[in-house]
Amino acid sequence: MLNSFIFVVMPYAALALLIFVTPYRFCSNRLTWSAYSTQFLERDTLFWGINPWHYGILPVLAAHFLGVVFPAPMKAFLGNQNNLIIFESISLALGLFALFGCVLLLLRRVNTPILKKVTFAADWVLLYLLAAQALSGVYVATFMRWGSQWYLHTAVPYLWSLMTFNPQIEYVADFPLVFKLHAAGAFLIVALLPFTKLVHLLYMPFRFLMDPPILYRWRSK
Amino acid sequence: MTKPTQVSERRLLDGGEDMDVRAQLVMVFNLDKCIGCHTCSISCKNIWTDRKGAEYMWWNNVETKPGVGYPKKWENQDLFKGGWLRENGKLKLRALGKGPTLFNMFFQPNMPKLDDYYEPFDFDYSNLYKAPPGSDQPVAEAFSQVSGERMEEITNGPNWDDDLSGSQIYAANDSNLEDRTLVEDYGRMFMQYLPRICNHCLNPACVASCPSRAIYKRGEDGVVLVDQEVCKGWRFCTSACPYKKVYFNWQSGKAEKCIFCFPRTETGQCNACAHSCVGRIRHVGVLLYDADRVEEALLQPDNELVAAHRAVILDPCDPKVKEAARMNGVTEQWLEAAEKSPVYSLIKEFGVALPLHPEFRTMPMAYYIPSLSPVISSGADLHELALHGTIPLLEKLRAPISFLASLLSGGNQEVIAEALQKLIALRVYKRAGNLGQPVPESTLKEAGLDEAGADKLYRLFTIGGYRERNVIPTQQREEQDSYQRKGASGFGILKKTRSLK
Repeated sequence: MLNSFIFVVMPYAALALLIFVTPYRFCSNRLTWSAYSTQFLERDTLFWGINPWHYGILPVLAAHFLGVVFPAPMKAFLGNQNNLIIFESISLALGLFALFGCVLLLLRRVNTPILKKVTFAADWVLLYLLAAQALSGVYVATFMRWGSQWYLHTAVPYLWSLMTFNPQIEYVADFPLVFKLHAAGAFLIVALLPFTKLVHLLYMPFRFLMDPPILYRWRSK
Repeated sequence: MTKPTQVSERRLLDGGEDMDVRAQLVMVFNLDKCIGCHTCSISCKNIWTDRKGAEYMWWNNVETKPGVGYPKKWENQDLFKGGWLRENGKLKLRALGKGPTLFNMFFQPNMPKLDDYYEPFDFDYSNLYKAPPGSDQPVAEAFSQVSGERMEEITNGPNWDDDLSGSQIYAANDSNLEDRTLVEDYGRMFMQYLPRICNHCLNPACVASCPSRAIYKRGEDGVVLVDQEVCKGWRFCTSACPYKKVYFNWQSGKAEKCIFCFPRTETGQCNACAHSCVGRIRHVGVLLYDADRVEEALLQPDNELVAAHRAVILDPCDPKVKEAARMNGVTEQWLEAAEKSPVYSLIKEFGVALPLHPEFRTMPMAYYIPSLSPVISSGADLHELALHGTIPLLEKLRAPISFLASLLSGGNQEVIAEALQKLIALRVYKRAGNLGQPVPESTLKEAGLDEAGADKLYRLFTIGGYRERNVIPTQQREEQDSYQRKGASGFGILKKTRSLK
């Protein structure tokens, strides 16, 4: 029951929300489409929170995607024991870095009075959720060793089975609870993305990188 | 208006001479007439920034010079890294290139913080009648407009160093001031006002710094705007602007800036700040410029930048310029306004209006006529003054030329002296005329003026009416599809930003 909920209902519900709500929000009201930075109001703690968080979580997230998109090359690469040890160590370090940043950001929201008026329920939900996600990730990395390797043989085929609308939850059904919570957290984050400030993740810098520096708009266009 | 035609097409039509002529709405400030009343700031605030998250924004503000300005020390680019630098024959943003920008999106290293402005406050007036009976007179206590918390002590404000208050802390730290001891010397001290709006630059650093590409320059009138739908609050514009005229709205999470009152200017009305100006110090009008020569002009050394500015600005009466402008879709009404433009006269024809900090290399399109400051008036000097008919000599002005040059000409003192000389000559000439005395012919000539020019300047500075000081052509909305135009306007913005708490 729990398995079907976490590994079948949640991912499809999250995906559906992401696919349908995001364009709806984009088209209906982009005035709320912002990263909602609070750097203007408080910057000293933010520096030590926001940088570890982003520089920690982005490579870890990228590694998760890399495993899904290129399972075969990743298997070959991590088949080498040295590679595996180095990869795992770096990932765990980055995970701890992100966790540290996230907890600091959470404490900052609690302890900075001037942020009271710009902190909404969604901010609390996201901060706790992301901290829990980072914590469960670090736990898995520490106590369920060589995750980068077994991930490729369990979660990756499961995720592929999701995409082919033939969910095979037996790949992941027998994992300990903490892994399941980590998966559930991931789907929850995807589900919340279109509703919260997480939409800032959908930023693509192509125009910024390619355009000439000064942008003109003519009325006739 | 249509998009500018391709360069090759343009070449064919203007006989090989390549010009990309565009129109720009420009404001000129006559500092001699500014009395520092802040009426402009108030009218601007009432119309545009009387909102949650915008309390601290002063799209128009008036600073006392010498002083550190608003936000504090905005002129110090070592602090906020605004504007452009020359590097290997090219212009680049002083702050961050495109790659480093993307790696600094989480924490913008140069962004001014709330304390660089001030924590906006209001007063709890309800306490005046709600306070319980007691032996003390109830007061309206201050509270923060950000947190809502009570503020024991107000330690900062939008114009904290007004009229040289706290001059040892503020005026002494003006980066334009060569000799800081001047602030301590009552006999040599001087003071001027500097009203500032967004300069709507020809090479805006805020536009170039925006990773979302939300800031743009309008092709038709050159107004620089932030598209609130596209802005995602990455905050690079707030520091890239060397004038610190892009503000971060902490409530909506987006950047905002002066919009040059475009809803007013589009219908031919003056900007709220210029309209309400008590001293009538402001002139608004059209300049035609060659967009192809902007970058080349900005690569000149600091002390030649004023000349480079003037070279980019084109003569609106030149038929070739007009033809090239028409090619770019500039309408007849705009060309006519450009010919009558008071700002063209002040900036290029007479060269009395100068750009604010041209060395930031954004090519600002707000120009300032330097003021004739008080004279140094010790006993002996008074005698010399009388010799000159009470109009001071250039050398006797209190504000050091080096100070004005640092502010308005990239350090070029000759340019300042020329402008001041013209203003002095104009006064000598008009005073003599009023008293029926003969004017020495050399007075005007030496300053580079003639009688017709002096009379024109005199009219602009004094008795010229609203439509003479401001020549603002309307946007030709009738060219747009009327069905869409009517259907798409009238209700304002119905969508909401993040709800208030």
